[in-house]
Amino acid sequence: MRVNVLGVSTTEFGELWEKSPRALARQAIQGALNDATISSNQIDALFVGNMLSGILGNQANLGSFFAEELGVPVPSYRLEAACASGGVALNAAINSILAGQYETVLVLGIEKMTDSSQDDVTSGLMAAGSDEERMAGVTFPGIYALMAQAYIDEFAVSEETLATISVKNHYHGSLNDKAQFRKTITVEDVMESGKIADPLKLLDCSPISDGASAVIISAKKKGKKPVYITASEVASDTLSLHDRSSFTSISSVVRASKKAYKKAGIKPEEIDIAEIHDCFSIAEAIAVEDLGFSKKGQGAKDIAEGKMTLGKGKVITNPSGGLKACGHPVGATGIKQIVEITQQLRGETDSRQVKNAKIGLTHNVGGSGAIAAIHILRN
Amino acid sequence: MAGIVGYGAYVPRYRVRLSDIASVWQKDSAEIMGGLKVAEKSVPAIDEDAVTIGIEAGKKALEMAKITPSEIGCVYFGSESHPYVVNPSSSIAAEYLQIGPNYFAADLEFACKAATAGIQIANSLIESGQIKYGLSIGADTAQGKPHDALEYTASSAGAAYILGNKQSEIIANILVTSSFTSDTPDFWRREGMRYPAHFGRFTGEPAYFMHVISEGQKLLEKSKLKPSNFAYAVFHMPNGKFPRVAAKKLGFTPEQLGPSLIVDRIGNPYSASSLTGLAAVLDIARPGQKIFFVSYGSGAGSDGFIFETTKKIVVKQRKVVSVEKQIENKTYVSYSEYLKHTHTL
Amino acid sequence: MLTTPVKLWRRQKKVATHIGRVGKILNWTIIRVPPKAFHHEAPYPVVIVEYENRERTIGQLVDFEEGDLKKGKRIVAILRRNFSGDSESVIAYHIKFKPYEKI
Repeated sequence: MRVNVLGVSTTEFGELWEKSPRALARQAIQGALNDATISSNQIDALFVGNMLSGILGNQANLGSFFAEELGVPVPSYRLEAACASGGVALNAAINSILAGQYETVLVLGIEKMTDSSQDDVTSGLMAAGSDEERMAGVTFPGIYALMAQAYIDEFAVSEETLATISVKNHYHGSLNDKAQFRKTITVEDVMESGKIADPLKLLDCSPISDGASAVIISAKKKGKKPVYITASEVASDTLSLHDRSSFTSISSVVRASKKAYKKAGIKPEEIDIAEIHDCFSIAEAIAVEDLGFSKKGQGAKDIAEGKMTLGKGKVITNPSGGLKACGHPVGATGIKQIVEITQQLRGETDSRQVKNAKIGLTHNVGGSGAIAAIHILRN
Repeated sequence: MAGIVGYGAYVPRYRVRLSDIASVWQKDSAEIMGGLKVAEKSVPAIDEDAVTIGIEAGKKALEMAKITPSEIGCVYFGSESHPYVVNPSSSIAAEYLQIGPNYFAADLEFACKAATAGIQIANSLIESGQIKYGLSIGADTAQGKPHDALEYTASSAGAAYILGNKQSEIIANILVTSSFTSDTPDFWRREGMRYPAHFGRFTGEPAYFMHVISEGQKLLEKSKLKPSNFAYAVFHMPNGKFPRVAAKKLGFTPEQLGPSLIVDRIGNPYSASSLTGLAAVLDIARPGQKIFFVSYGSGAGSDGFIFETTKKIVVKQRKVVSVEKQIENKTYVSYSEYLKHTHTL
Repeated sequence: MLTTPVKLWRRQKKVATHIGRVGKILNWTIIRVPPKAFHHEAPYPVVIVEYENRERTIGQLVDFEEGDLKKGKRIVAILRRNFSGDSESVIAYHIKFKPYEKI
């Protein structure tokens, strides 16, 4: 498969009090159009990835809402898959191109979270879980904490080892001018931060953020060597964590990535860079194992040893700073991951450039693993 | 007459010491504890109410009775702390106990004797042949107003009794039952008010003692029995003093009264008071023993029963988590935690 | 609102079948930053439980001591009330777990 990436853009991520959803969308859309050097009337369709707009802001009908910011009343669709809304929207957009329905499509991932109270956000995010989980009073940090506990028990990994994941991502984020957090942190900082849901602490958890990212994809090529998407796979699993076959592996990720590797004709060892869905530090430890970068139980240890750190590692994970340091406006993350990998593959990422990056992967997960979207890109 | 085929009692785990309450209000705890003859009282968990407590007790009663829940023909729920003013605790508890839908049901209020009235109604329905089994539940998370005398005794517990008429299942037959009722405003709670009000010493002689003693004497006359014919005596326990005085006045000994005196260690759980005392007795009673029982509800009235245990009680006692065990299985909370648990803070 | 009267009613028969079931803790965490409806109860442990018939579910652990929070601890399902609703809404009752003591 070959779907070309014509243009990418992301807003900065953070507490963007002054930027409304419309303003964020305009910024990302315009940025992508500029990057692609095309105009809005060359866009055949708009796909939007967003989770919380209806839940927090009572605004649905987002296809039309954001088509207004594109400025052209194109066919427009909103997809929701919790924190994988961006990845799933992209997958649907790709499928529409492969089906021959559209030629050039803009995919927008966007989330505005800071207009609501932390309470409302914590409760709103639980829409990604099940009723049983909501009635139990568990939160997303709690659900991932349950996975962390199982992982720590099963593989005899310490909380300090898990903490190195946030440390690595903050280091990468410090080199990214779009990141929400640009300060480095230490393992002590993580260990001393307050507990949110035992054993996860504040600095094990990604923040509440605003942001928008956009990518323009096309069946057409533009330029001499465009980055292209060579695999796009989505897989699902049970909604509740307790109904899954394992607490220390996300099967939807294993299945989607296996399919993606097969369709791209590559093996995990050939991946140079990967944007991983580190909503919590434990998520990245499990992800690098599920994606085949590390052996089972070795993920956190490999990261602690620097095997995935910029400048040192073999496969660099979360060069953008990941969800932890770059920020996690949930619907935008899946698209931001595409922006980062694209820019890396083009050689445009300055101080956080991974040299000679040829093949990249994005890993976007909804809820505690209910849905996964995996993309593979090449230059 | 019908008889008890199963019973269950539930005492919440938490306790607050009367001395901790007294010290906040700068009262002499020795004086208070000495006067009331109560040392500590039961406190509900922050997520318990009369219905959840009643369900715990009801579940145990069903397990002991060994009948299918749908065989229960009536459900009466007596409480002073029904979660809803309108919306029956009886149907909520019944549904969660998987009882229904063919049953008579109503919520009862008659201060601390609501559930014993429920037993009388169940007994009548069984006697008249309309139902085979009847359930009466008494449960409360009683509210004591801070700094008020009742704060030292108002507590929480639940008790459930299932009656039937098959001799092969009955562990204690009802030999006699009657009531003594009058309009005596000793203790009341107005609509919309969180805490009850009471009229001090008026709650003693003209209220509690008048009705308990009169009903007690009636039971003895009707049955032509003497106090010495009984192995146990159980009375409603608003504090540790009143039941001891009533027992003495009617001619019962401290040995006969002792096993039912749960009030010393868990306080007064209102609608569950006398019935939990009865459960404590049934936990240890032998076959062929007579139990003298008089409840009391402010307003006012007393329901009297004479029970006689059967041989069947031995087998059914075996799987019981006794009242004694539940009283001893406790975790202390501070006065402020107690206020948090009872939603005062 | 944690639930609506219709949802409470529709689920009731299933919830009733859980009451009294025995199982064991598979894993646990302690929620310290709770969702709105559980503010007054925080911090509280949440456990994933496996019943004797292998069915699994998730719920709060109550009436416990520190040593009870461990993998394999036997628990029993009970019904408890959520007190957070305003004083007008229907009352939400739901399943929680407490340590199980065999007689």
